[in-house]
Amino acid sequence: MSNEQASSSDGKRKALDGIDEYFDSGAFKAELARRVAFRTESPEPDKRPELYRYLRDEMTPYLDDMGFTCEIYENPIEGLMPFLVAKRIEDEALPTVMTYGHGDVVRGYDDQWREGLTPWEITVEGDRWYGRGTADNKAQHTINLAAMKQVLEARGKLGFNVIALIETGEESGSPGLKEFCKQNKDLFKADVFIASDGPRMQPDVPTVFMGSRGVFNFTMTLECRDGGHHSGNWGGLLTNPGVRMAHALATITDAKGKILIEEWRPDPMSNSVRKAISKLKVGGGEGSPEIDPEWGEPGLTPEEKVYGSNTFEIRAFECGNPRNPVNAIPPRAVAYGHIRYVVGTDPHNFLPALRKHLDAQGYQDIQLEPERDYMYATRLDPDHPWAKWAISSIGETSGQEVAVLPNLGGTLPNDCFAEVLGLPTIWVPHSYAGCSQHAPNEHVLAPVCHSALRIMTGLWWDLGEGDTPTKTAA
Amino acid sequence: MTTRAEAIATALSWFDDDDGYFATLADRVSVPTESQEPSQLPELYRYLNDFIRPDFEAMGYAVTVYDNPFDGGGPVLLATRIEDPALPTILGYGHGDTVRGQADRWTKGEGPWKLSRDGDRVYGRGTADNKAQHTTHMGAIKAVLEARGRLGFNSKFMVETGEENGSKGLKELVAAHKADFMADAYFASDGPRVSLDKPNLTLGNRGCINFDLVVNARDGGHHSGNWGGLLSNPGVQLAHAIATIVDNRGRILVDALKPPAISNSVREALNGIKRDGGADAPVIDETWGEPGLTSAEKVYAWNSFEVLAFVTGNPSNPVNAIPPRARANCQLRFVVGTDYENLRANLRKHLDAQGFEMVEIADPPPGNDAIFLAARTPPDHPWAEWVKGAVKRTTGAIPDVMPNSGGSICNDVFQDVLQIPFVWMPLSYTGCSQHAPDEHILWSITREGMELVTGVYWDLGEEGTAWRP
Repeated sequence: MSNEQASSSDGKRKALDGIDEYFDSGAFKAELARRVAFRTESPEPDKRPELYRYLRDEMTPYLDDMGFTCEIYENPIEGLMPFLVAKRIEDEALPTVMTYGHGDVVRGYDDQWREGLTPWEITVEGDRWYGRGTADNKAQHTINLAAMKQVLEARGKLGFNVIALIETGEESGSPGLKEFCKQNKDLFKADVFIASDGPRMQPDVPTVFMGSRGVFNFTMTLECRDGGHHSGNWGGLLTNPGVRMAHALATITDAKGKILIEEWRPDPMSNSVRKAISKLKVGGGEGSPEIDPEWGEPGLTPEEKVYGSNTFEIRAFECGNPRNPVNAIPPRAVAYGHIRYVVGTDPHNFLPALRKHLDAQGYQDIQLEPERDYMYATRLDPDHPWAKWAISSIGETSGQEVAVLPNLGGTLPNDCFAEVLGLPTIWVPHSYAGCSQHAPNEHVLAPVCHSALRIMTGLWWDLGEGDTPTKTAA
Repeated sequence: MTTRAEAIATALSWFDDDDGYFATLADRVSVPTESQEPSQLPELYRYLNDFIRPDFEAMGYAVTVYDNPFDGGGPVLLATRIEDPALPTILGYGHGDTVRGQADRWTKGEGPWKLSRDGDRVYGRGTADNKAQHTTHMGAIKAVLEARGRLGFNSKFMVETGEENGSKGLKELVAAHKADFMADAYFASDGPRVSLDKPNLTLGNRGCINFDLVVNARDGGHHSGNWGGLLSNPGVQLAHAIATIVDNRGRILVDALKPPAISNSVREALNGIKRDGGADAPVIDETWGEPGLTSAEKVYAWNSFEVLAFVTGNPSNPVNAIPPRARANCQLRFVVGTDYENLRANLRKHLDAQGFEMVEIADPPPGNDAIFLAARTPPDHPWAEWVKGAVKRTTGAIPDVMPNSGGSICNDVFQDVLQIPFVWMPLSYTGCSQHAPDEHILWSITREGMELVTGVYWDLGEEGTAWRP
């Protein structure tokens, strides 16, 4: 027994040494750079072939090499983004983990990056590695799979079964993902879901979250007339859609961002959620923006605002011709609205409630359109056995206290896994809040990647050790 | 001996000839004289030197093209025909420049730079504003010269090329060459007439000041999931700030941005004035603008605040991020008496009082930063009365007189520098999509303008009707 324990901890140490070497030798950076070079911008329809190329030419050979059986599946919605499903079944009796990553990225916005940076190559500046998709999500699945490979090499086997799903439409709202999971439940029979996306609480604090806020996007359009009209001849006689849209937007939140539509407001937090959130700390990290303490729902802590509440943003708003303004009353205005919401708020009521609200204020002339499928909010009880197991493994490997979030502030297609597949979902994020994800100058922090490689190596190692919730419970 | 009617017939036969008016205007519209585009400066010179100068010289005018004292500003042409220093001198005006073509947004005709006729409509950038209007004046002068052999008065005619960019440098140029431009009275055409079915005169203009409202929260966008609720949204802030300046029905809420009460004489002049922009003119929103005013009072006697453009985030590809900044290009159109000089300071005070210290008042973008001042010739001035009479001799009816136009023009040059009375006879109509894609004129209205303007020039040189200041 003590020999076995010794050999087990030797094995884990060997695996961790191996992953240190993988990072220190530059092999990790090279692997990430290779993946960042794929211009997998899923919001650009003409980049669809790149998505296939990423799955076929990059991920498939890598996973084949690890003894996975890989298959690329078409999206159930014709013409949309493909999925890669890779399986490595060692023994049906062993626990099965489902893992996930997304190979697509938001648009590069190549011309908006700071001088010296380009989205499609890794540029190193101190601890920062810049490149589109580094944080979201290429480094994260690269870390998780490399850690798994390390365990495989150290142990000769994993000691558990893996089903890996790599999607390529996450940045476009994961179209078809839910349908795909529904249609292929058999493919994804697992005991637990463990994957990585999003930021850590603090760059140096290992973090686990068990769900995410939902997101709902919509457009508000005010079409006043066909064309612009000379503001001198018509000013005072024609409705200015920019003025009116500004007013309508000003009724949705107050000037400090507090949501004014009752149906959009979150349920009060439960004590357990409030307690978990109270241990968290948002912000910080070099390059993080300064928090505006006056902004958002009054009476909440900054952490409660992000993890326990709903927020409304104007993502974009346009009227007239902002690049070359002319002296004309613009014909139309469009605002792109955006709600993040926690479990308990009914997203199907967002637009009906807004319609009712706008009508009551006299804005029948503003048209509302939902922008894409719903991404639902999810949460897992922090006391769930799998959550406790993962938190303990990560704490042991890192020697640090783990930050535990009931849900992420951002949004993941977690409802597919938590609701459709019915899996306990554990997310171990490897990025940090200041990473400029979704904006120009996206980057990861090298020390965080290194720490994440170690944590994941430890987690996969521990998963193969046999002492896991499902098996003991079974 | 030729008659007034024969002079008008001469003008109309040129107007109706395919090689006459239409061909002349087509040539002029084909020159992309976009004064808001610095790269088009050579086109502005080409317009004056190749299209305007030869026509005036053929009519016996001496022509000078002045460089603009404002760096990068368009040149100004002055054509002068002095028949007898004892006769009165009338100054005319046109502008050869246009707003941007916006070619990709046209839905009618054959794009901005090719004159194209469709029924009564003739499409092309600058048709209404202002190429057809000065083409009409030049054609009318030619017809009178042909009919009478001389004008019977002295004529000066200036064509500037920077009007759509705020007539920058014009005031300084005219001041520096005051004697060259000096006249006894001013008569010209620009802008739309108020009503489709009858002409009117316009004696002044609203002023126009553009400014930007900007919220610059931080350098870059931030993921709304990680930062939403923690970071101010500049779009939300700017929307709220605008909502304090003007209400949701266009009523200006800031006292300092309003004009003084409408005077009785202006109210009287506007009494009964109806706006009629034709079938395709936009429908007037009766509930928009200052409550309690008639439509005419809203445009000709009151101020209006516009959001010309607004942008936050990346509207062509919105992402789920809190945008770092928001900008609104705003405008105040104002009548005589408004405290335009302290506009920014007063607006600053208002925004601060409302808690919008983060909203900056910034300069508008170059190309949209023109400032026009409000101006007006008194409605009972003898020159205005004389032009009214000349119009009546053509139409049989006294025309409406607008105390000022809704739009803006460089009247302050005539009001303040030359200090001469000015009368405008607008020849376009309000549905002309001036400053927007699909700009056009109505052929029937333009033809009527040909008669009216010819009549005015005929009467100026005719014994019995001639105006003597």
